[in-house]
Amino acid sequence: MMNWIRENNPLKKQMLLSILILLCVLLSMTARGFFSVDNFLNILRNSSMKGIIAFGMTMVMIAGEIDLTVGSAVAFSGCISAWVVKTMVAMGVSPIAAVICGIILALVAGFALGSFSAVIRNKYEVPTFIITLALMTSLFGLANLITRGFPITSYPPWFNFLGGGYVLGIPFPAIIFLVVFFVVNFIMSSTTFGRSVYAIGGNMEAARLSGIKVARIKVIIMGLTSMLMALSGIMVASQIMSGTATTAKGWEMDVISAVVIGGTSMSGGTGSIKGTFIGMIFLGVLVNGMTLLNINEYWQYVVRGGLILGAVLLNVVHEKKQMGSIALV
Amino acid sequence: MKQNKLETVGLRKVYPGTVALDNFSVTYEGGKVHAIIGKNGSGKSTLIKIISGAIQPTSGILRVNDTDMKMETPLDAFQQGIATVYQELSLIPDLTVAENILLGRLSYKKNSIIPQIDWKASYLRAQQVLDGMKVNIPIDSPVKYLSVGQQQVIEIAKAMSFNPSVLMLDEPTSALAQHEVKSLFNVIRTLKQKGVGILYISHRLQELNEIADTVTVIRDGLFVGKKEMGHVTPEGIVHMMFGKVEQKTRPSDLKIQDETILEVKGLTRGQHFKDINFKVMKGEILGIAGMLGSGRSELLRSVFGADSFDSGNIIFNGQLVQAPTPSLMKSLGMGLTPENRKEEGLVQVLSTNENLCLASLYKMGGRAGYINKKMEEPYIHYPIEKLQAKVPRRDLPVSSLSGGNQQKIVVGNWLNTNPCLMVYDEPSRGIDVQAKQQIFQIMWDLSREGISSLVVSSELEELLEICHRILIMRQGRIVDEVFPEDLTIEKIYTMCMEV
Repeated sequence: MMNWIRENNPLKKQMLLSILILLCVLLSMTARGFFSVDNFLNILRNSSMKGIIAFGMTMVMIAGEIDLTVGSAVAFSGCISAWVVKTMVAMGVSPIAAVICGIILALVAGFALGSFSAVIRNKYEVPTFIITLALMTSLFGLANLITRGFPITSYPPWFNFLGGGYVLGIPFPAIIFLVVFFVVNFIMSSTTFGRSVYAIGGNMEAARLSGIKVARIKVIIMGLTSMLMALSGIMVASQIMSGTATTAKGWEMDVISAVVIGGTSMSGGTGSIKGTFIGMIFLGVLVNGMTLLNINEYWQYVVRGGLILGAVLLNVVHEKKQMGSIALV
Repeated sequence: MKQNKLETVGLRKVYPGTVALDNFSVTYEGGKVHAIIGKNGSGKSTLIKIISGAIQPTSGILRVNDTDMKMETPLDAFQQGIATVYQELSLIPDLTVAENILLGRLSYKKNSIIPQIDWKASYLRAQQVLDGMKVNIPIDSPVKYLSVGQQQVIEIAKAMSFNPSVLMLDEPTSALAQHEVKSLFNVIRTLKQKGVGILYISHRLQELNEIADTVTVIRDGLFVGKKEMGHVTPEGIVHMMFGKVEQKTRPSDLKIQDETILEVKGLTRGQHFKDINFKVMKGEILGIAGMLGSGRSELLRSVFGADSFDSGNIIFNGQLVQAPTPSLMKSLGMGLTPENRKEEGLVQVLSTNENLCLASLYKMGGRAGYINKKMEEPYIHYPIEKLQAKVPRRDLPVSSLSGGNQQKIVVGNWLNTNPCLMVYDEPSRGIDVQAKQQIFQIMWDLSREGISSLVVSSELEELLEICHRILIMRQGRIVDEVFPEDLTIEKIYTMCMEV
């Protein structure tokens, strides 16, 4: 039993999917090198780092909140784990132990930051837009303070596996991407927790009066999402083999775009993880295709902006149409 | 000199399916306070809306000082001499008193090329309005720093700045404390002496004695009578409001069992209610009667844990509950159908299915928290059948259902949690007669199963029909306890209206 608008609406789901397929067919015919296994794996890898965050962001946005810290949080977690590795190795700890400590610290800090935003949100009723905007700014500063403006290249060579390695020919980040997709999708569609998230976003007061623990659930989803940002940050650091404060700038826009293209409502209550998956791949294919077609980078931005607006308008018009048909029932 | 006279001639308003107001003819002289009174659905609001210009009558004429009015918008009404102050304040909190009074009509400097506000002249004009009302409120203070009573006075000042012949006040005292009411009355008396005709809408009978010169009763869309206040008793007014009504009673087989389910001791919450004591027994249907603003909804919400309270004890199912929250009260067996279905009762974008499972999610999922369609079925079938809800498609958003069916979904959502006490806040608001009877039937059925109900309603005749026992609440206090058998509708309304 899933919500009609959300899931069982074949038109809407297929609309995005069919545009994606159409786009792939067009690119296969026009862009040299697009239609190849290597390129598809490449797209998947490039979508992975942002994608795992997008799944968390979908939960956050379905609950009616937002998290803008993405880019800064990714850079920050890469920098802090690199710093931990550097410091511990200098103290004589084995690299493997240092890396594990660095990863754990980054993940824990991630969860703490996200849940901190949610606690402030619950307690003082400040919009998460503002809280995470502030946090984003501070984290950017902190990341630069940690690195003193230069990349920290303290990782041992094998660390590159996390961001750049392959398992059975599939990029490791892509595997993480798929695992996170299945887990979050299961949570959102088949658990009481997921259902509570939809209820909170649809009507917070009704959810609260139904005995749903609104505050706690918000802390958990914001914490988890922030933790996914840290995970992504570690994989990025692994890919470039350094903790760099200037990496991942502006990612929040790409992540939010993918979620919105995937059909999640900015006002909360509706959306799906599957939609976000397709939205993320959509963005990845588009960017990859345009690059292969040698389209000017700045034109790419123009097209992406148009795509976001178009997707949102499509969703809004579609929803209105449905509301009309419902009224007739 | 103006007479400030308002006349209505044969006002009639037809809505599809009903005649809300018919053949309403009356004359209101200036320099007097005319109260207009009628129960919910009597056509009172329709009359107010016509006089304020918010809606147009189907036929009939409004006349001010013997001139026929042409009103298409509320602004037309203001310009032709009828000013209305609504129940909800419409001031802009961050603007000053003067700016609010002259909103959109500030004075401009005469010799300036670009339009420039003349603050001195504007403040002077606003001050004159306040002086005319003999009110002393700092003109440059942002409105948000004023008390509700002062804000109400500023609303009236805003209306008076149009220099109207007729001033209509819609429930002006509903949000005010006792001493604020007194100063508001002083303002009204000052205006009366200036010869303004004042229409005063209120359901507080006691106030009418103090402030009104005449009272007009409206019932079923018809003019029942206009009397001088001195020539009519409160009971007489209530009788005019209700006419002859058949009093319905609950089925005779409902038994109260000798076991206390809920005990509330000395519950107090700031301005809202004070020192509330009552008990609910097993299988009992207890009503709380009170007018809007008496603190009844706030009381229910505090008992359920939706709002906090200052002091007092709640003992539910033999357990002392220190700090109730909705999730705690739910786990102890309490359910609440809130006053406002749309904003608090249902998640409109979710389906009927999902709304029915809302309160019982954790119960359904158990420790693992895994749910699927199969597990949901009993939670959906049972309430839909038991409550006879008409749900064409259960997977559509619940917003597609009618008000009555939505209310049944709210109740069904809670029945799924197996409560031992159901709390209903205005259960029949905005639903049709048949659905209303079905909801009552549910309460009686539950009572037979030993499930108690606590019901708040401003439709007092309903409480007489469904309850074993009724508490009368007035200005945040429980002032009496009565039994439907000993009461008439006139009597219970008179009790609640503070006479």
